[in-house]
Amino acid sequence: MAEDQRRTISRRDLLKGVGAAGAAAILPGKVDEGSAQPASPGAGTDPGRARSFAEVPRPRRLENLTADEADTLEAIMARLIPADDLGPGAVEAGALNYLDRALGGFLAGEREEYGLNLAALDRYCLSSRGAPFVELSTTDQDSVLIDLEGGSATGSGAGFTGSSASFFAMVKGHTWQGMFGDPYYGGNAGFIGWDLLRYPGVRLGVSAADQQRLEAGELLPERRSAYDSEMFEKATAMQRAQGGVEHGD
Amino acid sequence: MKSRSVPILVAAMLVGANIVHAQEYHPIIVESPGMQTGQTMPRDYTPDGRNISPPLEWRNLPEDTRQIAVVCEDHGAGNPPPWVHWVVYNIPGTATGLPENLPIYANAPMPAEIAGAVQGENGWGRSIYRGPAPPLGQLHNYNFFVYALDAELDLPPGLTQQELMERIEGHVIGRGAIVPFYRRGPMDTASAP
Repeated sequence: MAEDQRRTISRRDLLKGVGAAGAAAILPGKVDEGSAQPASPGAGTDPGRARSFAEVPRPRRLENLTADEADTLEAIMARLIPADDLGPGAVEAGALNYLDRALGGFLAGEREEYGLNLAALDRYCLSSRGAPFVELSTTDQDSVLIDLEGGSATGSGAGFTGSSASFFAMVKGHTWQGMFGDPYYGGNAGFIGWDLLRYPGVRLGVSAADQQRLEAGELLPERRSAYDSEMFEKATAMQRAQGGVEHGD
Repeated sequence: MKSRSVPILVAAMLVGANIVHAQEYHPIIVESPGMQTGQTMPRDYTPDGRNISPPLEWRNLPEDTRQIAVVCEDHGAGNPPPWVHWVVYNIPGTATGLPENLPIYANAPMPAEIAGAVQGENGWGRSIYRGPAPPLGQLHNYNFFVYALDAELDLPPGLTQQELMERIEGHVIGRGAIVPFYRRGPMDTASAP
């Protein structure tokens, strides 16, 4: 069996987790786990919106992370939400781009924690598996991530700032945000995350007919950022007028 | 009445939870090419190494053995103890051991010699082997128990140690163990940056 077919956290697990967080309540129909129905770009409910995975942008203009840190984080993200037969994953969604931007903005307080723990992660991988994380096989990468998640790496002496489980949870949470958050913040490129979830999109109003189409799985997804709507444009325009952001951070 | 019945109930629950451990069984001889009772576990079977499952070998099974189960427990951890590191069952009664490095993926096939075997849920909630990770400097013992069963139970995957013990109760006809220890020391900084 090819290693790429194996998963630390399967897409099935991921969808369950997201559902538990409440997002499932707005999905236009049940995700059929058994038959692994595609929810990928171009395979959704709007045939007019078909596009190739290759067309999904993968920006890599780092603003806060070093190249080595970005490589390690991207390798982690590739294992957390891998590209598979259901569609592209966190790397293709630009989750790293989201995190890199956010670490200069609303996640700035966690920038140092990332630096220290990514260095600790590579020390741990070198000591336990003989190579830095990015150079490990996917099986060993998954094994390391399981050790991080369970806290087993904490007592290794590698220098994690707290429990390795806390670091894992932080990276996982930010990967989820970069995958499924509003593209305004730099992730969810090409609405990959929303397509995976079959999220119908940001809507300011839902008519009875919309609700019926949603329940029948026939509602065409709204694929635009919340900040493309007039309501949020006003807020962002005010921010820009005050010397605010060039992008969502 | 109340003051006497509560301790009796608690005692009964404790006995029930450890019923498989409390009885005398046909002794199974358990060995490992990589481990010995009373010796430290190799790093490869811990998160300080590759954290792969160790190889086990057993002999002197009861004649009527139809199936085998394996559990690794740390009685110095867990709330309440034990902390469970590994649960494997539905192992064919003809098997003479477990090969090293069982799969960490649910959809990966088991080695041919133990075809049909499945892994149960460990203390971390995952159906795989995870090795010792005691607090720095503390020595913990790791009990690799091997149970011989008199029936082919066809148990579902993902059972916890407690659920397994409940399911095999009344079917255990032999038991053996190997008990290595592990103590974490300073990290191997020679290979670290």
